[in-house]
Amino acid sequence: MKRRDVLSAGLGAIALSAPAIRSVHAQTKTLTIGGSVPLTGAAAETGLNVNNGYITAATYMNDVLGGVEIAGEKYKIELKLFDDASDPARATTLIQRQIDEGTDFFLGSFGSNIVLPTAAITERAKKPMVQTGGGSDAIFTRGYKYVFGMFPRATRQFAAASALFKTLQPTPATYSVIYNNDAFSKTAAEGVKLSCNAAGFKLLDTFELPAKVTDVSSVLASVRANTPDMLLCVVHDQNSLLIARQMVATNTNVKLLFQGLGPQLASYREALGKYSESILCSTYWDETVPYKDKFFGDAKKFAEYYRSKFTRPIAYHVAGAAACIETYVMAMQAAKSLKPDAVRDALAAADFETFYARIKFTPDGDGDPLTLGGMIGQVQKGKLETVFPEAAKSASAIYPAQTWDKKA
Amino acid sequence: MNLIAQTLADGLVLGGIYALAAVGFSLIFGVLHVINLSHGILVLMGAYLALIFSEALHIDPLLCIPPVMAVLFCVGYAYQRFLIQRAVDRASVNSMLLTFGVALMLQNAMIWVFSPDMKSITPSYAFTSLKLGPVNLDAVRLSALAASLILLSCLAALLRFSPLGRVIRATAQQTMAARLCGVNVRHVYALTFAVSAAFAGAAGIVIGIILPFSPMDEGAWTLNAFVVVVLGGVGSPAGALIGGLLLGLVSTLTAQYIGPAFPNVTMFLLLVLLLLVRPNGLLGNAFAPSR
Repeated sequence: MKRRDVLSAGLGAIALSAPAIRSVHAQTKTLTIGGSVPLTGAAAETGLNVNNGYITAATYMNDVLGGVEIAGEKYKIELKLFDDASDPARATTLIQRQIDEGTDFFLGSFGSNIVLPTAAITERAKKPMVQTGGGSDAIFTRGYKYVFGMFPRATRQFAAASALFKTLQPTPATYSVIYNNDAFSKTAAEGVKLSCNAAGFKLLDTFELPAKVTDVSSVLASVRANTPDMLLCVVHDQNSLLIARQMVATNTNVKLLFQGLGPQLASYREALGKYSESILCSTYWDETVPYKDKFFGDAKKFAEYYRSKFTRPIAYHVAGAAACIETYVMAMQAAKSLKPDAVRDALAAADFETFYARIKFTPDGDGDPLTLGGMIGQVQKGKLETVFPEAAKSASAIYPAQTWDKKA
Repeated sequence: MNLIAQTLADGLVLGGIYALAAVGFSLIFGVLHVINLSHGILVLMGAYLALIFSEALHIDPLLCIPPVMAVLFCVGYAYQRFLIQRAVDRASVNSMLLTFGVALMLQNAMIWVFSPDMKSITPSYAFTSLKLGPVNLDAVRLSALAASLILLSCLAALLRFSPLGRVIRATAQQTMAARLCGVNVRHVYALTFAVSAAFAGAAGIVIGIILPFSPMDEGAWTLNAFVVVVLGGVGSPAGALIGGLLLGLVSTLTAQYIGPAFPNVTMFLLLVLLLLVRPNGLLGNAFAPSR
């Protein structure tokens, strides 16, 4: 299925002015879930993954399972997703319109800058939102009761990485942080500092980059002048690649390069080639995770079904998005109701196993750091291997990394 | 001392690339009086075409400059002749709305065709660096700078010495007189736009080999071109070069000595100051003296 299908389905839904639940068949009702996703604009690359994840889960439940049973009745899932163009203002307008039209349940967009204002609207309307695109602490520290996230909040996301760093031999002593000036990166950088300082690593420098970067020569000159053992970058994909390329070209070496976003993408690894070897990143899911799932069976079967529908490479955001819909359905089944308040309470009490992870939320709505906390991946021989935690690892971490000239 | 030398060298390299990216915008503004808000799209078209050509033909991306410029020249000619000129004929402000609309449409078309994913062009020397005394320079940026300077020189020579350049300058300086002398002004406008589009495409190749790019970047390159033109002055490669180098130096010096988050702040501060003190830019309007 392509984006065009989703958009046309959404437009059709608007034209019909569909109520949240309407009968389309004598036995099968329709469960409408609304939301916006960035299919264009700055966040479109990951937004497309989130969108595909939502579609994969809904299509599987409708076409393969014939719908889902909630409180003794069969429902088909109708997604009313619209392109917010990575624009928070447009996203809030779209969400408000859907609330006015009677949509009761929402999926999140991608990017904390969009999730935060849209969550404020759904919260005010007392409609649940389950999302996999916003990790900023600001989303989960305002006392919201109706928003749930598939990741721990940003300041808690680095705990796994710092735990890994402590196990490395010889143990690294110092680190520097590079981050973008945006809601997610800033809080993620705070999380890096909290976790690393607590683990006893010494901070040498922090570098704040603007959202759009064209050159990091000056930052790398500073890194060469005051070289840390670990350079930790919590920037977006495009900036990660720019930093890595300029590091290679200027022979800026560190023992460990961690880039939160970037190395997960095949395009990043292809662009860097052999120089991507041993770069670390966060990852929240891969096909080898051992969890069982009542809908797809397991992670491998989910990936197979996804590939039968899309040619785009699978990424953890795809799985996280599909898990949002599974979580909704399981919460509705547990609540035996489609009333937003009842579903919200079931979400708050969730403890469901899915192919993605064990879904459990903190009282603030973000992902439980233990069950939904991240894994750490490392590029090894061109592939992303999971190197932490021990239970999920597919390879041992390589440390210290070779210098760039030795990778050549 | 090493850090200052490194920062200045980085700034000059970056500035040269900014200059090439802006020169087409400057020429269109100077000759046609059109603010081309789709300039960034032309830059990106160059980058994507170079990606396609270099992967299909297995050649160095810089060798793609001639075919990419040829394609963009044709696109630019048709775009100006059949769309922009018609908008200008009705009201000059229409061209701004039209180019803005075209930029939005083409950005979305690029997303459909190339996906929103970041792309990068990786030449064989992408990870090579050179050491000149205390200064470390990566080969890809140096080659990008060299390509920029050669192309800017070619454009300057074209405008100064070629019959086409003379006609463009004559049309820009005295449109009515040029028309009375038998110059087909509409054709010259379209040719000027075509040359500018070709140079924007070449800039796209240079940018593509040093930076990852995606369709969402078009706005940034239009904005950068605008700032360079305001700083350096309208209509000439020399103005674009001065503006670009100034912008590059200000960006890297600010990033190094104030903070990497602040180049945009100083860039726009400089823009405002220059608009107050010298609104025509450092070199002024290249076509103004005889107007």
